[in-house]
Amino acid sequence: MPGEAMLFLFGTIMAAILLFSMTIMFSDLECDYINPIDLCNKLNQFVLPEMMAHAFLTFMLIINGSWFAGAINLVLVAYNVNRVMNNRHMYDATEIFRTIGQHKTECFAKLGFYLISFFYYLYRMIVALIDES
Amino acid sequence: MANLPTQQTPYNRPPSPNFRPMQNNDPSQPVQRGPSPYRPHPPVPGGVSPNQRPVTDPRYSNQPLSPFGRPYTPLGPPGLPNPQTRPPPPGVSPSPPLPTGFRPSSNIPHSGVSPAGFPPGIRPSVSPSYRPGQIQQGRPPSYPVQQTTSANYQIMQSNSPPPVESPVSPTGTSPPIGAHKPKRLYPKQINEAYTETSYEQYPTFTPAVTAGITGSQQLQPSIQQQPSQFFTPAGDQNYASTTAAPTQYGQQFSQPQQPSSMAGMTNQFSNMGLGGPSQSQLVPTHLIGIPPNIMDLDAPPPTINLPLNTSVTPSDKANCDPSYKRSTLNTIPATSSLLSKSRLPLGLVITPYRSLKEGDDPVPVVTDTVIARCRRCRTYINPFVTFAEGGQKWKCNMCFLLNEVPQQFDWDIQTNKQADRWKRAELNHAVVEFVAPTEYMVRPPQPPVYLFVIDVSYPAVQSGVVATAARTILESLDRIPNEENRTKIGFITVDTSLHFYSLNSNASVPQMLVVSDIEDVFLPQPDDLLVNLTEARTVVESLLGSLGDMFKDTQTVGNALGSALLAGFKLISPIGGKIVVLQSSLPNINPGSLKARDDPKMLGTPKESSLLQSADPFYKKFAVDCSRSQVCVDMFLLGSQYSDVATLGCCPRYTGGQTYFYPAFNAGRSEDALKFAHEFAEFLASPIALEAVMRVRASKGIRMSAFHGNFFVRQTDLLALPNVSRDHSYTIEVDIEENITTQTVCFQTALLHTTCFGERRIRVLTLALPVTNSISELFASADQVAITTLLANKAVERSLSSKLEDARDALTNKMIDILGVYKSALTSSQSGASPQLQICNNLKLLPLLSLGLLKHVGLRASSQIPTDLRSYAMCLLTTMPSQLLIPYLHPRFYSLHNMSQEAGTYGTEGIIMPRPFNLSSEKLERHGAYLLEDSQNIFIWIGKQVSPQLCMDLLDVRSYEEIRAGKVTLPQLDNVFSQRVNAIIGKTREMRRGVYYPHLYIIKEDGDPSLRLWFLSHIIEDRTDTVMSYPQWLAHLKDKMVEQVSPIGRFYY
Repeated sequence: MPGEAMLFLFGTIMAAILLFSMTIMFSDLECDYINPIDLCNKLNQFVLPEMMAHAFLTFMLIINGSWFAGAINLVLVAYNVNRVMNNRHMYDATEIFRTIGQHKTECFAKLGFYLISFFYYLYRMIVALIDES
Repeated sequence: MANLPTQQTPYNRPPSPNFRPMQNNDPSQPVQRGPSPYRPHPPVPGGVSPNQRPVTDPRYSNQPLSPFGRPYTPLGPPGLPNPQTRPPPPGVSPSPPLPTGFRPSSNIPHSGVSPAGFPPGIRPSVSPSYRPGQIQQGRPPSYPVQQTTSANYQIMQSNSPPPVESPVSPTGTSPPIGAHKPKRLYPKQINEAYTETSYEQYPTFTPAVTAGITGSQQLQPSIQQQPSQFFTPAGDQNYASTTAAPTQYGQQFSQPQQPSSMAGMTNQFSNMGLGGPSQSQLVPTHLIGIPPNIMDLDAPPPTINLPLNTSVTPSDKANCDPSYKRSTLNTIPATSSLLSKSRLPLGLVITPYRSLKEGDDPVPVVTDTVIARCRRCRTYINPFVTFAEGGQKWKCNMCFLLNEVPQQFDWDIQTNKQADRWKRAELNHAVVEFVAPTEYMVRPPQPPVYLFVIDVSYPAVQSGVVATAARTILESLDRIPNEENRTKIGFITVDTSLHFYSLNSNASVPQMLVVSDIEDVFLPQPDDLLVNLTEARTVVESLLGSLGDMFKDTQTVGNALGSALLAGFKLISPIGGKIVVLQSSLPNINPGSLKARDDPKMLGTPKESSLLQSADPFYKKFAVDCSRSQVCVDMFLLGSQYSDVATLGCCPRYTGGQTYFYPAFNAGRSEDALKFAHEFAEFLASPIALEAVMRVRASKGIRMSAFHGNFFVRQTDLLALPNVSRDHSYTIEVDIEENITTQTVCFQTALLHTTCFGERRIRVLTLALPVTNSISELFASADQVAITTLLANKAVERSLSSKLEDARDALTNKMIDILGVYKSALTSSQSGASPQLQICNNLKLLPLLSLGLLKHVGLRASSQIPTDLRSYAMCLLTTMPSQLLIPYLHPRFYSLHNMSQEAGTYGTEGIIMPRPFNLSSEKLERHGAYLLEDSQNIFIWIGKQVSPQLCMDLLDVRSYEEIRAGKVTLPQLDNVFSQRVNAIIGKTREMRRGVYYPHLYIIKEDGDPSLRLWFLSHIIEDRTDTVMSYPQWLAHLKDKMVEQVSPIGRFYY
């Protein structure tokens, strides 16, 4: 169990880092520190890895039998899959200024979600550690 | 069948004896005025059909004299050589696959006169509303905007100091040369404004100048009180009563003065003086039951009533001409809540690089590279700044920072003498061009580069595109901008492999290099693929001469456009420039292969908009790369099949280019070949601006929120345009973020570009607008044409991002909102149902134009419109300047059989057009002939019972039955009627901006149903299959309005 908990922790921290950098980059764009083409090229590199990392985490949670955590993560997985299916997951340099508001909101929402799950995992990890000892 | 003969129609009876007299009477008019281009002449020798008549026809050879006896002046776009010296129009001599009868030069006789041969008077008559200096002068006759000039202003006029001391005086602008003393350089009261002395002397005069400046505080209350005496705040109950009797102001205060102020409008002095704290006046108009007065479509936008002395010079060009930049509201709301309350859209329509026609003033150029800009907000100095500290400093009118006036500002470097500051172009003209010094360059100005990517697959060769294009390019080589002999040119032809052409100037014949490895594109040799046009002229000509024959027998059907684009990009990206793509088949080889995804079942369903979106991200990504390397792509799509305009149009969309679409093109049909050759040649000849960026700055509190048009948004407010195409319009939505406390706001567009003759320049357009707190002023100053342009752009964006239906609904709701707000805030009947629908006079055509937009091929609900046509219409809607867009939405409709005697003849302003009709089929008489044009197509509708004489005179056939419907070239016949109609068509084809050369279709009343329906779909005041008629539309708006407004009304009571 502690091994699994460590894995959750690792996955959550990784996703949170990715998202933090994204929000920072969006504000860079608004302040003209980065041009939209470079921004989109950079961000697009991370879109699929982040989604895959998250899907992997969910998969591990479900295998582990953490139903509640798995269920709430599945919602996000479904959302991601839907976006990939509709080909809306990549950032489009030509539309970025029009959609930057949405992207930011989405980023913050995800960040919040990861933050909450982070604490939840932390709690579960401690509980698991206590149980074991 | 023998019905309705009326007296005044000469064509109303079969073999008409009445017609002859008219013929005889008619020529008398031109004859009186001088030598007529329509002078009767000996009949054409037999065997030559009229439309193949050579240009040297005696009738046309006596044209160098205008009816006024003056020599003709060249007329084409600026930069064109004189028609006499320039080579014949492109496509003149028949190219190999064309029929021998194909003589594109017959476009010269089309109009009865050469396209470059109209008398000088024509152009001005085309767009009276677009001429500079008419902001204050030209106005609809019944538009009493200035009546409300308040008492404050009247006092001002009588008390104002003698003109000598005023900055609006002529002596202020041009003091005697050699008598320069610092004191005389600056008008007295400007000096005083900053030394804070003797305000009392000109109590009503200085506030406008010093608004917002420290030291003028004691005066501010008096300014702001004045309007409030007559204007109650928006939403106040008194409001309705004051506006319900709008003439009150005029009667009370300005009636005695009105004649003099009206007379003064033509006077350039009063242009500035008319402003003051005056307001535009609302003139309510009823909509229901009254046919819209379409003559007002050409009316100038509402006057901009700037406060007195807002500009430092009295120039009448101090504020921007609407053809360059117009705002949807000529008064800016002070708060964003007022804007959202009014529901009117706020935005700018900018056409920075518009073409100059005969009679237009060229943009003044500041050549001494003294560019005064604000240190903080980077605004360029403009007519609305103020000078301080004896003229040593200037105060920015955007951010109010005091800046040093550059030392050389008053110095003439040519003569090395003190110069008159008030004569500087940037202080006198709102549209001005600065020659930019090296700080504005990241590299030396690039030369113009044209790389042609020509599809030579089987469909392209078969339809004659290759030969026509090659011939057109060959004949346009002299017209391609090449003033400095720096222009570079290159060719790539593509089918399943890429063919490069080594154009070494030492070789006499080009060498073709075939690259069949299209997976990983490389250039077969490092140089000679892109060559200097002047140096390699012979070899380029030799290539173009043989290009048509080279692929004559090709059987290859594939096309690798994607690879060709990548190769072309590799070739020109070190320099930048233009890739001109001539595509006739759907690219089917990766990268960028496309499928014929056009599914008729999806048309008219919500899924349709997916067909309007790009199918392959390759083209969008390519366009973004191009934008970075200053490469522009222009697409000429000439496919006979589905061409996927939506996807291929992405390249021009983000690189500042343009898409041109010729559905079912076949060069064997001379009309098709002529249209394409004409437009392509005009496109090649038009001067372009290279490696450009555009930014719009505005006063504090105003933000540019969204951009529409063909460009790439590089930063939040910076538009990257690798090329600026001529006459492209850009629409920008504007947000008000903070409350505006100043009296005026300013929008400044700066377009930094390289001209095609290698000079780095900045074109600056400055528009100053007054600020208001009153909703009635907002409505009174709303510009229906600009609003329609903005709504069209928004509707296109909406239909691409969600659904066509959403776009239509949004448009309908916008109209309901605007009418509802007008009703609840500005009329006495605030809620509940009333039999009438009111709107102010200056917006009265907005419902009609929005209906035109709803019924436009780009947005109409229909399952019959092919995706390509829709996509192309959307391309046009987002790039056309207002002058082209309005007829595109609301076509012009004339009757030919009973047009007035002078229509189609020369008047003082060129060819007189008939009076346009409302677009309603009740105007269609069975014995009539009608002309309808929407700036892209011209239709001649011929009724079933048309007189045979008319058929004979117009089309050279004996009866209605013999008329061939469809795309035609109207014959030039030797009778007055034919000449007049040809003159009208000729003028229609060349009176507007842009390169477009409309096709002419003959529609028979009982002819081909699809043609008929197409024609009838332009009759927008009628009900068409699914969309309502104009009266129904108004009724619909009114019903919906009642539903929406009444809850608010209840809330008020």
